Amino acid sequence: MGWRVYPSRMSPRISATALLLAAVGVPLSLLWDYSWESTIGVDLFWSPPHMATFLAVLLAALSALALAIRERATKPVGAWLALWGAVAFVTAVSFDLWWQASYGLAAGIWHPPQLLKAAAFFAITIGAWLCAPRSGAAAVLALIGVVTLPLTFANQQHSAPFFLAACATYPLILAAASASGGRFAATRAALGYTLLVGAMVWLLPLFPASPLTGPIYHPRDHLLPPPFPLLLIAPALAVDLLRARPARGGDWIAAIEAGLAFFVVFTAVQWTFASFLLSPAADNRFFAGGGRQWPFFMQIHPSALTTFWKVPGEEFTLPRAVTAAALALLATRLGLALGRRMQPLHR
Amino acid sequence: MKTLLFLLLIPLLAHAHVGSPNVFFDGKAGPHSVRVVIRPPAALPGAAQIDVRVAGDGAERVTVQPVFWSAGESAAPEPTSAAAVDAHLFNASCWLLRRGSYALRIVVESPLGRGEVAVPLQATPLQTTDLPPALGATLISLGALLFLSAMWIAHRAAPRRGLAATTTALLLAGAVSGGAMRWRKMDRDFRANMLARPSPVNAEIRTEGEIHRLLLTPPADSLATWDTLVADHGKLMHFFLVREPGFTTFAHLHPARRDARSFEAVLPPLPPGPHQLYAELTHENGASETLVGRVEVPAPLGVAAQTAWTMAYEVWCQSSPTPAGNAAQPSALDPDDSWHAGPAPGVGARVSRLMGGGTMVFQNAGDIIADRETSLRFAVFTPGGEAATLQPYMGMAGHAVIRRSDGAVFTHLHPVGTISMAAQQIFTASTATRVPMSPLPGNEITFPYAFPRAGDYRVWVQVRLDGRVVTGVFDVPVKARN
Repeated sequence: MGWRVYPSRMSPRISATALLLAAVGVPLSLLWDYSWESTIGVDLFWSPPHMATFLAVLLAALSALALAIRERATKPVGAWLALWGAVAFVTAVSFDLWWQASYGLAAGIWHPPQLLKAAAFFAITIGAWLCAPRSGAAAVLALIGVVTLPLTFANQQHSAPFFLAACATYPLILAAASASGGRFAATRAALGYTLLVGAMVWLLPLFPASPLTGPIYHPRDHLLPPPFPLLLIAPALAVDLLRARPARGGDWIAAIEAGLAFFVVFTAVQWTFASFLLSPAADNRFFAGGGRQWPFFMQIHPSALTTFWKVPGEEFTLPRAVTAAALALLATRLGLALGRRMQPLHR
Repeated sequence: MKTLLFLLLIPLLAHAHVGSPNVFFDGKAGPHSVRVVIRPPAALPGAAQIDVRVAGDGAERVTVQPVFWSAGESAAPEPTSAAAVDAHLFNASCWLLRRGSYALRIVVESPLGRGEVAVPLQATPLQTTDLPPALGATLISLGALLFLSAMWIAHRAAPRRGLAATTTALLLAGAVSGGAMRWRKMDRDFRANMLARPSPVNAEIRTEGEIHRLLLTPPADSLATWDTLVADHGKLMHFFLVREPGFTTFAHLHPARRDARSFEAVLPPLPPGPHQLYAELTHENGASETLVGRVEVPAPLGVAAQTAWTMAYEVWCQSSPTPAGNAAQPSALDPDDSWHAGPAPGVGARVSRLMGGGTMVFQNAGDIIADRETSLRFAVFTPGGEAATLQPYMGMAGHAVIRRSDGAVFTHLHPVGTISMAAQQIFTASTATRVPMSPLPGNEITFPYAFPRAGDYRVWVQVRLDGRVVTGVFDVPVKARN
């Protein structure tokens, strides 16, 4: 069976690297797709960003298959998980083709095939991370960034949904990285995330493109940059520094310390940084801020371009802040448990 | 990622037909005679297919530009050049993003000059399709594979194997049932709020003195208001009644608006019995809408035409003889109201007898094929067999109403096509070029159309002769496209 022979000849090292590249390709292609749809608007099955996602998933499937075969004696869970993700992706795309023809987007965005697709992407990136614990976490962080993108415009970064979503997700990955990947592993993962998302912020606007459908509320002549990456690097450094001290007490004590550290540092830093992103000082190619980078189809009142959006029921009140802190703590605890398991799981 | 597109998808409008979504337009783009056929996408976002046929030679370039009404021309994308299929036919594809009212601005360039015309189009999801059995079986197989393999991975990976596999199975089962519930809810909401469908209307008849008043109101739980309507051919509402069963009675009335949630009309003397009703409205944003309902018509009062429906084989047409104006509280019929009763025409019969002894002839030769664009051509003759002279009826050479025998298709056609003239005037005002009305063509009248599906259709064609509106009735069998 030729399709089996070929990947099984790849060396484990090459396979793991290929799987990692594929995992990085997933969030990058999704950010490209977001930019494409927010600039050009015509969303065809064979659009270049979709092709990039398909290629990333294909590469993930082949390299994971190679690892699963070559390393079968050592239980390569990451490879199995990535393979599972590739099959889930094929299932989701088949389902989604019918869904788009039947409902389009009019029934809502988080429809069942879309949720299955998200699960598939997480399985692939987490699988790749398990195969490459020292460098895979950045792709998972970037994927969380893509999935939560509708909550992460700078104008939303003083609202409760933004902080709740961030505190429920990122600390899990940062804590797991920190617990499994050596010195400053969380900081390295956050740096990787910043560079991946940052690269899209800096590179995409170099390509000319304009909307091919209307209504166009924000004319564009180049691809839209995604929102600037969150400053995860600050809370990641705090988590690493806390973890670097001699251990006192069990995992729950560590989770309380690191979880609260994440919450306090992230909230303080991102709250301030969001104000900067909305200011004229951020209106440049590096930060892509200043309230000027919008999907062409978003209708926004001029006064709301550079202000924080105050949606009733979404204020970042004290009870919600406490909830966010509790979510950060729980996510950290889960992350620490996962991180401890990652070494034996890994090959 | 499509997620952000959703932020702006909001319910806006109902739809201006029943089961006949394609748009047909015959008219002028400057010096050029054009026929435009628009096939809107079934789901949004999606691509509309636009055919532009230019009469005469020399068309050099045709461009198409979708203008979203509420955003205006400045928010429209650059015009797209249509590809020339042959010397006369041009085809373009336009991506429509949102549900709402669009004007497709079509520009034709030739040595004769440059002409443009705006054709109204309502973008709205048209249908949902059932999951094909083969796809369903494939998805279930893949789902089972994913379920079992996830349990296997958990079993192999975790230290407490049984617990891990069971937990994974429970989590996945929860996810699957949650997904199924979500699908059901989304489907329900989509059908209720997004899918194109006619709006229900309540009809009530009140008898006062010697007249029956027809009162139309939206259902109590509806938020619909009728305070932002514009007149189409001078009327805020075009209202049609057809009598069940057999549909041998047809009335085309023009109720007057009493307030933001009611219309009222005097009921002409129609044969009593259950009637289906259809009403067409155009809103000031260019969106047009069809209302549907049922009403039990009582026996007429007075002596006007009480015996007419007992004349089983006599064609009986009537139009309101005395102008009464479009009064807010109608005490008389609208001058353009008309009604007809007569025996069912023979299926496929090409000649229809008109009141007063004239005839109307359906001139299309050969079979009518579903989804094939055509011109429905009718000619009107005097009792002596000479060509009749058509007079304008509400500014048009005539009106046609088409209904499939099961009611799944209902549409109101003009010689310019299926579009609402009022909507076109709104769009044309914004693009600063008015469309000239087509001249009356002697005794012939044509309607551009393609029957959307095979079946038996009843076609009522109304023209004005010697000051009276007469109605020709045809039963047209439409064959499936091979």
